[in-house]
Amino acid sequence: MIGEGEPRRWAQPELWAKALPSVALQSLFFLAPLIMTVLLTFQETRSFMLQWAWSLKVWTEIFSKPHYWTVLWHTLWMSALCVALCILIALPVAYALATRLQSLSGHVKVLITFAFLTDMTLKTFGWVLFLDQKGAANFLLEKIGFPPAMIGFLYTDWATLLGMVYNLLAFTIFTIYLSIANIDRSLILAAYDAGAGKWRAFWEVTLPLCRPGIWTGAVLVFLLSVGVFLEPKVLGGGKSPMSAELIRQTFETRVNWPLGAALTIVLMVVAVFVILLFSRVYSLRRYGAAA
Amino acid sequence: MGPGSRRSAAGRDDSLKSMGQDAILDIVDVKKQYGATQALKGVSLRVGRGEFVALVGPSGCGKTTLLKQVAGFESPDSGRIAIEGQDMAGVPASERPTSMVFQKLALFPHMTVAQNIGFPMKLRGRAADEIARTVREMADLMHLKPEYLERFPRQLSGGEQQRVALARSMISAPKLLLLDEPLSALDAKLKKILQAELKRLHRSLGVTFVHVTHDLEEAMMLADRICVMRNGEALQVGKPNDIYYRPADEFVAGFIGETNLLDVEVTEVLPDRVRYRGTDIADVDGILSRALVAEDVRPGPAKLMVRPELLALAKDGERYPSAIAAEITETFGKGGAIQFRAVTPGGQPLVVEVPGTSHWPARLGDKVRLGWMKRDIYLLQARA
Repeated sequence: MIGEGEPRRWAQPELWAKALPSVALQSLFFLAPLIMTVLLTFQETRSFMLQWAWSLKVWTEIFSKPHYWTVLWHTLWMSALCVALCILIALPVAYALATRLQSLSGHVKVLITFAFLTDMTLKTFGWVLFLDQKGAANFLLEKIGFPPAMIGFLYTDWATLLGMVYNLLAFTIFTIYLSIANIDRSLILAAYDAGAGKWRAFWEVTLPLCRPGIWTGAVLVFLLSVGVFLEPKVLGGGKSPMSAELIRQTFETRVNWPLGAALTIVLMVVAVFVILLFSRVYSLRRYGAAA
Repeated sequence: MGPGSRRSAAGRDDSLKSMGQDAILDIVDVKKQYGATQALKGVSLRVGRGEFVALVGPSGCGKTTLLKQVAGFESPDSGRIAIEGQDMAGVPASERPTSMVFQKLALFPHMTVAQNIGFPMKLRGRAADEIARTVREMADLMHLKPEYLERFPRQLSGGEQQRVALARSMISAPKLLLLDEPLSALDAKLKKILQAELKRLHRSLGVTFVHVTHDLEEAMMLADRICVMRNGEALQVGKPNDIYYRPADEFVAGFIGETNLLDVEVTEVLPDRVRYRGTDIADVDGILSRALVAEDVRPGPAKLMVRPELLALAKDGERYPSAIAAEITETFGKGGAIQFRAVTPGGQPLVVEVPGTSHWPARLGDKVRLGWMKRDIYLLQARA
């Protein structure tokens, strides 16, 4: 079984030599920019000019103004909702594709991939046309007898959430689909044989076994949704900006690079912290029974 | 083989009635089609309460398909499956009094051994302490060490996983245990141990076993009755010895162990005996009693079947009721036995197996006479 062989000996020099290209690339394109960003947060901007002066001005501003934390909290909250909705929608879709609709799943996967590869900006503006007061949705609803302008949630957080879920749903569908499709069919039959009905078999066997897929999808969607700026601007009307939009404004409009860098670092640290927290809970639940 | 012979083969399945048992499982003319392939072409089988029945046949013969219909994972296109007289049509797998041991065992990887074994009881809403107690009893019955109960299936060896799978299948006290080649992935030594275990379980629990296997030796060792299948048909159902010494046709004869099929000519079929002659065969009178002849034998070409271990190397001056001359072409020492390949002057190949001795009774190139007793042979209709 994987992982039960001899532990890799990292002390072996040739192993380091083999890892060198990868380590070099990682350092050059990931670690170096990150370090530069961190260094940037300790500088100052005076009259739109970056001053190479070591100071904590930016950090004192961040920790003294609650606005930044409100935006961050809003971002985390929206991302959490987005993750929850993506999983709740993707689970039945992925389950159906992997089981009942197996014969159709090839076509459906191609369709999802096409939708997924279509430019996000286009799709997001498409939703504006659809959700607008005089948009397609309201037009159709009025035609079949509903009162005019029934759908009025464009330029609210709900529209933002809709756009986020729409743009990120494919990640959870694919990861969950893969993990369900990989479940040995005889395990499900064994559950039926033991006396489980369809729901019970899903709850006791399919769901626990596709948890890695749910988890991977959740992490992907969470990391992508904390970085979302298109949807809150286009569909949310920019009324309650999320962190990524705030960072963009700080860099471009306010031309305050140190502050923007600091906001970036805060967002990153918080996102990584949330992921670590959940992975801890996940691994506890996974091995809790064994301990 | 023609339809007539098939009917006669099915007609042999009277052993159940003679055993005086009532049927716990009654399969009547079950058909199943997958796309263009007819996986089951009308199979009928009755299994008595407490019996151990083995379904054997080459891969693709429909034995596993038949088991799936009984377990309720699939439903037959036509025909009837009844358990204890109750028609199982429309009864889902979860509500049938059957339990399956899967080929790949299908142990739940996310549950401990104890959770795996207790799963059927948990589904029935039993109390946790009752489940824990029964799980320990089942583990004990299956000779599973108590410390294994808290491990995960992947941490156990293949043989131990088998025991877990069996324990999980037995814990709900099924009326019918269905085994889908669960021993096929094990090495020979472990297989022997678990075969003995299965036999012991069957005797001590009194549960009816239906065991699918392609391993004939396993079927002969374990089963009370064997059902030989090929191409979606049950060719013959009977006690292991009957199938071994009185096969329904050439296929069954060749499938169940090594055998010799000598070309002969049936000249006359009488109510109590059959007259035959064979080119290389020296027979005192050329007559076989009806009991040694398959029902469907007609005058014309036929096959004389004699098992390798029932052929004897005739010493000088030793007389046998029937004998054939041959030249040894190959010798194999098998430890407990010695096997010879030989060929008759007419070119028919033969296999002979004699008990092993420290000195070999014949060598390569020896011209020998092979004799047999009349009661040890069986005459089959030659395949068209």
